Amino acid sequence: MAEAVCGSFCQEKEASFEAAQKSARMAGLRAIKADLNIVSKDIVSKNKETLRDLLAAALNSVCDSIGRFSLAGKMGIAGLLLIVFIAVFAPFVTFYDPSAISGMSLDPPGPEHILGTDELGMDIWSQICYGARMSLVIGLAVAMISGVGGGFLGLMAGYMGGNWDKMLLRTIDITMALPSFPLLIVIAAFLNPSILNVILVLVFLSWAKPARVVRSQALAMKKQQYIISARLHGAGPVYIIRRHIMPEALPLIFVSILNISSYAIVAESGLAFLGLGDPTSKSWGMMLHYATSFRSIYFTPYWQWWLMPPLIALIFLLLCLAFIGRDMERIVDPRLRLRGGQ
Amino acid sequence: MRCRGKKGVAVQYATALFLILILNFFLPRMMPGDPFLIMSADSENEVISVLTEEQRQYFISYYGLDRPVYEQFASYLFSVARGDLGESIYYKVPVWEAIWTRLPWTALIVLGATLMSTVVGVLLGLFSARRRDRPADKMLMVGLISFAEIPSFLLGLVILLAFSVKLKAFPLAGAITPFAHYSHPLDALWDIGYHAVLPIITLSLTQLTGIYLLTRNTLVTVMTRDYIRTARAKGIGERLVWTRHALRNALLPVVTRVGFMIGMLMGGAVLVENVFSYPGVGSLLRSSVIARDYPLIQGIMLVMAFSILTVNYLVEIVYERLDPRTSSCEAT
Repeated sequence: MAEAVCGSFCQEKEASFEAAQKSARMAGLRAIKADLNIVSKDIVSKNKETLRDLLAAALNSVCDSIGRFSLAGKMGIAGLLLIVFIAVFAPFVTFYDPSAISGMSLDPPGPEHILGTDELGMDIWSQICYGARMSLVIGLAVAMISGVGGGFLGLMAGYMGGNWDKMLLRTIDITMALPSFPLLIVIAAFLNPSILNVILVLVFLSWAKPARVVRSQALAMKKQQYIISARLHGAGPVYIIRRHIMPEALPLIFVSILNISSYAIVAESGLAFLGLGDPTSKSWGMMLHYATSFRSIYFTPYWQWWLMPPLIALIFLLLCLAFIGRDMERIVDPRLRLRGGQ
Repeated sequence: MRCRGKKGVAVQYATALFLILILNFFLPRMMPGDPFLIMSADSENEVISVLTEEQRQYFISYYGLDRPVYEQFASYLFSVARGDLGESIYYKVPVWEAIWTRLPWTALIVLGATLMSTVVGVLLGLFSARRRDRPADKMLMVGLISFAEIPSFLLGLVILLAFSVKLKAFPLAGAITPFAHYSHPLDALWDIGYHAVLPIITLSLTQLTGIYLLTRNTLVTVMTRDYIRTARAKGIGERLVWTRHALRNALLPVVTRVGFMIGMLMGGAVLVENVFSYPGVGSLLRSSVIARDYPLIQGIMLVMAFSILTVNYLVEIVYERLDPRTSSCEAT
């Protein structure tokens, strides 16, 4: 592993060295572009190792921070792992298919149905377990796409500067000015509410924040002495970004991934609660929607086993994510303040 | 980040609004299907043809669908600018009227929540800053931060279950008691307040923490300044130093926060109104979603987006007036 990492680094260095010599002759962005091309060819051929190298860096910084978590953060991780477990192994921890009519309508919790059944006689515990998949998939997908994508855009723009940066900053400002929830509702109402559409819309509305944070970090770091000296030694931008800026930006991206994932989970369940979810899917938000749409549910005892489980599950998941996110932020923060970033 | 100037801010918000209008215009056109198809399918598809080709053409030109897209878009912009948002399919009234009758209720709980979270947040921030790092401060902080992580509609459900269903202390739904007869205008006011309490508390609990933390942290930094020492050296009482000297200066960032909060509260109100079956714009939105009343959905979205953008824009302008430092180029 270590050899592979080192090997890829050395080759990269050579490649970027050539590139740097070239860029001495050319000016500005064109040079950077050429440089990018050369190294990206290199990346394609060494794809496996560079990916491994990146993963190793990410894993290191994550492991490093988990070691410094507080009790609440560790509990958050344990809770999240629990939810991931029941989501992944949903068929093994439940007895019924979530959309199979397996009992009487609105059975109270008992030996046959741990958490009772809903108005169609479907097992609620099964719905909770399978519903966890929906929340986790949406949260993870949106956060990964917009965290990594937005972070990458911000990194590039911050480091390259110039017109690209200006354009990106404008776009970020406009995207952040958009009122996200009304927009989300109207788009979800018109497009068919499949998971893919919801993910796409949420990505569109949430990529701007990581881009902005990472951009200002890259901008601040660009002026650091050691980066300047690395550049003067002939290191190309891709090398500097990967070797110096990326490790510093990764924790920031990780924090925004956590924040975005809870945003996405809230947004999805909120949409579902309004009746804009995919009616064929099982999700916690849809359970809330059906339970609260049930006429006079509050005058019956049904809310105790129909409305409470998804409510508790959602709050539990969001609190876990929040605890983890807060600890990550606390760990990343001193470094942030040092750089004079936001 | 704030190095944009007044023009830049205006352009930014205008572009955002324009984007929303474009989206609003193209979304219905992106939907599959053709409104005239069902009326004009030929007999091969075993659907009785109601419209002849001639009539179909007539309707297409009647609705202006044969004109180029940019012309359609321009006429859409004109009608929106005139306040014409179309007609609700379900309620059979102009969209504007349907929204207008519900708007006061939403405004009531949004403004009530703004007021409550600001006042309570600032007071708690002051309380906490004076007891910095003591148990009361720490407990308050942990408690409030945990509350802030729960989105308003989930919190609203919990509050509804606890106070209305279990304790039966507050009404379950609505904004006034149905068929109530008030002998005195104050009774009506009391009834409205009684129904609005839980939604307002729910909405403000989510925004309270931001104000609280901001006040507390600004106060803590402000208290290390020289002029505070001067004030103390002059022999001003501790209480006055906190309120007159420290709090006044700490309130500046709170003002911006309050402004932006209104936008967020409007988004939150949509869901919270549905939790409490409060007859505002949010529950109108839900019923229009269920009825697939597209013009109404679009109209509500437009009104909400427009008001959020306007409020945020005004806040930026006002903040620049209050604190001229922000208009200079600072890399934050």
